[in-house]
Amino acid sequence: MKNEIHDVLIIGSGHSGGMAAKILTEAGIRCLMLNAGPVADVTRDAARKPAYALPYRGFRPPKQIDHIFQANEFNANVWVDEQEVPYTFEPDQPYNWVRVRLFGGRSLFWSRQSFRLSDLELKCKSHDGFGEDWPISYEDLAPYYSRVERIFRVAGALDGPPQMPNGSFILDDSPWSLSMQRFIAAAKPRNIAVCKQRRAVGVDGLASSVNLLLPDAEQTGNLASIADAVVREITVDKNTGLPNGCNFVDRLSRREMSVKARVIVLAAGTLESTRLLLNSKLANSSGLVGRYLTDQIYGAGVVCSVPEARGGGASAHEHLMGGSAIVPRFRNVDTKSDQFLRGYAFNVSSMMGAISPRNFAAYGAELQKKLDEYYGSGFQMTVMGEVLGRYENHVRIDKDKADAWDIPALHIDTKYTDNEFNMAKDAVEVGCELAEAAGFEVLSKNNMPNPPGYSIHEIGTCRMGNDPKKSVLNKWCQSHDHKNLFVVDGASFTSGGWQNPTMTILALSMRASEYLAGEMNRQSL
Amino acid sequence: MLRRDFVRAIISILFAAKMTRAQQAADPTLPPPAPVPWTLGLNSRTPLPVTELADEIAATELRFFSEKQMATLMRLSDVLLPPLDGKPGAVEAQTPVFLDFLIGASPEPRQRVYAGGLDWLEQTAQAKYKTAFAHLNDAQAGDLLTPWLRTWMTDHPPTEPHADFINIAHDDIRSATINSKAWSDVPSVGAEESTQVALYWSPIEPDLFERAECAGIPPHAQAVPKSAHTMPSYPR
Repeated sequence: MKNEIHDVLIIGSGHSGGMAAKILTEAGIRCLMLNAGPVADVTRDAARKPAYALPYRGFRPPKQIDHIFQANEFNANVWVDEQEVPYTFEPDQPYNWVRVRLFGGRSLFWSRQSFRLSDLELKCKSHDGFGEDWPISYEDLAPYYSRVERIFRVAGALDGPPQMPNGSFILDDSPWSLSMQRFIAAAKPRNIAVCKQRRAVGVDGLASSVNLLLPDAEQTGNLASIADAVVREITVDKNTGLPNGCNFVDRLSRREMSVKARVIVLAAGTLESTRLLLNSKLANSSGLVGRYLTDQIYGAGVVCSVPEARGGGASAHEHLMGGSAIVPRFRNVDTKSDQFLRGYAFNVSSMMGAISPRNFAAYGAELQKKLDEYYGSGFQMTVMGEVLGRYENHVRIDKDKADAWDIPALHIDTKYTDNEFNMAKDAVEVGCELAEAAGFEVLSKNNMPNPPGYSIHEIGTCRMGNDPKKSVLNKWCQSHDHKNLFVVDGASFTSGGWQNPTMTILALSMRASEYLAGEMNRQSL
Repeated sequence: MLRRDFVRAIISILFAAKMTRAQQAADPTLPPPAPVPWTLGLNSRTPLPVTELADEIAATELRFFSEKQMATLMRLSDVLLPPLDGKPGAVEAQTPVFLDFLIGASPEPRQRVYAGGLDWLEQTAQAKYKTAFAHLNDAQAGDLLTPWLRTWMTDHPPTEPHADFINIAHDDIRSATINSKAWSDVPSVGAEESTQVALYWSPIEPDLFERAECAGIPPHAQAVPKSAHTMPSYPR
């Protein structure tokens, strides 16, 4: 048993925790990282198998991860088991909380889409009057985005309109396929920009905390990490009232332990960091911890077919199909919709392979004939739309439910409103209009978003701001109430956007960690 | 220079001597002295026994569907995915029996969709043809099913009654069949879908604590006073 006091305790090892560890240890600060789950070793824990060799033939094992639509039986064991770490919601307001507790967290599995926010998001209230402006502007974040993009090796083209700022990219100068060119031509007269996708290439096929951030931190000799450390609560020094460490329980042995640190950095993911603050009764003088939960609407979209690609046309015309694009937000930028605030983006893919049978109202031999004919002709648009931050969309501690270590569970009370539903409807209408203009056949469409949480982009429950009465954190992701407590994950977002939040989480964590390192090295903390 | 070579030579001699002793100690040709430490036998050269899939060999009893529901599901499976172009159909792939297991293990709302849907299908067949659905010909079954077929996007099957069951069951029947051993055994050609083969993650250091607690095995007590009668007595 040691009574060492660490410089910084980092709770969580995903993108935000990994970035904090890298920046702080490289500044000579000794960090202790706790992660709630084990280290995943693909050579030890995984093997290629056919679906028929699994108990459920590839179907999601019932009741283990019912709210993880992304899961199947092959990857069922990488997600948090809903029975082991339960959360609750009202039956008519389901929430899909998608969690990974392996070392590296969700950075092991993310979709790699890498976008910057712009001042359209960061100064949203100034633009349309709703919500709050962030206490920082694009200019504050831009240099950090550039550094993050170089670490994560983001590929893209410098083709973004002002609402999708360009970055330090590995340049993608691949030509558009003919089907994409037709889509671009259909979008242009409608003032809709179609841009190259932006994705983190990473190294050796992975763009994760475990291969891009943690090795740098480990190399400094200033990082110690503990796996399977399920944090129960943050502890407080009775004399100073400041957080001074945490109590945790070993996931497997149930042994209760504690560690001490001068500074606490929460990086457990938006909702786990929030749950920890609520269970520890900290940082909440504003009463806003857990409030303004938002994410993005996903699940709405349009599936089409490119007629010329059917019946073997895709392979006959070499450059007809293939490629992907991002259509950045175009609604409520220069014009104003009377149906909804903010806007959405389209992920666009021109697909080379099979089309899902769900796109045909047929069965048996007739269905197989359709699948044969339409093979290689798929063209798809899926929607990513901003969700408004609302006070009433919140999380709180459920007094009647606890997890496998007797830590009180989270109750999630959130729902979409007409703004989101109208946005999804508009997106599907525009998608169909573009498809028709491009000469594509619409096979199926859906304007009903998946339940909140599905995008795995939950943010906002410890929003940042300049006014301690109207925000939980200041512009450095630092608690207004406790100067030695930081929250560097997505919880700090003041508002969302259509953009996948990973690049912003990384940039904010980098910025906060450099500020923290400066304060510690000046001995202000 | 010379001095460094000399030091190097000494080190290598010492090292070689140490290696030789180590090799003698681990000489695999010498039988280990008995009793052999029992955990040391398995090694990377140990052959792995060959095993088969249980459901390729063994039978199971119905656990969830009634006999009548299963008869309806068998016919429904055969109509929606019959044997085509050398590929086995859903019945050959034992999909209905698999679905009895899958749906039986599933949450109640999904069970309701299936049980209710199969009962409705049977009632509809009886009302229209005065025959069990299981005995309808392809055209009759098609007349009942086709009005309910919908196109839909992933995660958003139709929600209207009857259409929900038909489209969800169709999707499940296809997935279960395509992911069966029988389907995998026949190579896919053209646009025929293939059995999913992917990286399977085993449970990663699973937490067995709660299960062990629940097992209720009496604990072994190390320091309990010995009983006065330690030997069992048997009736003679």
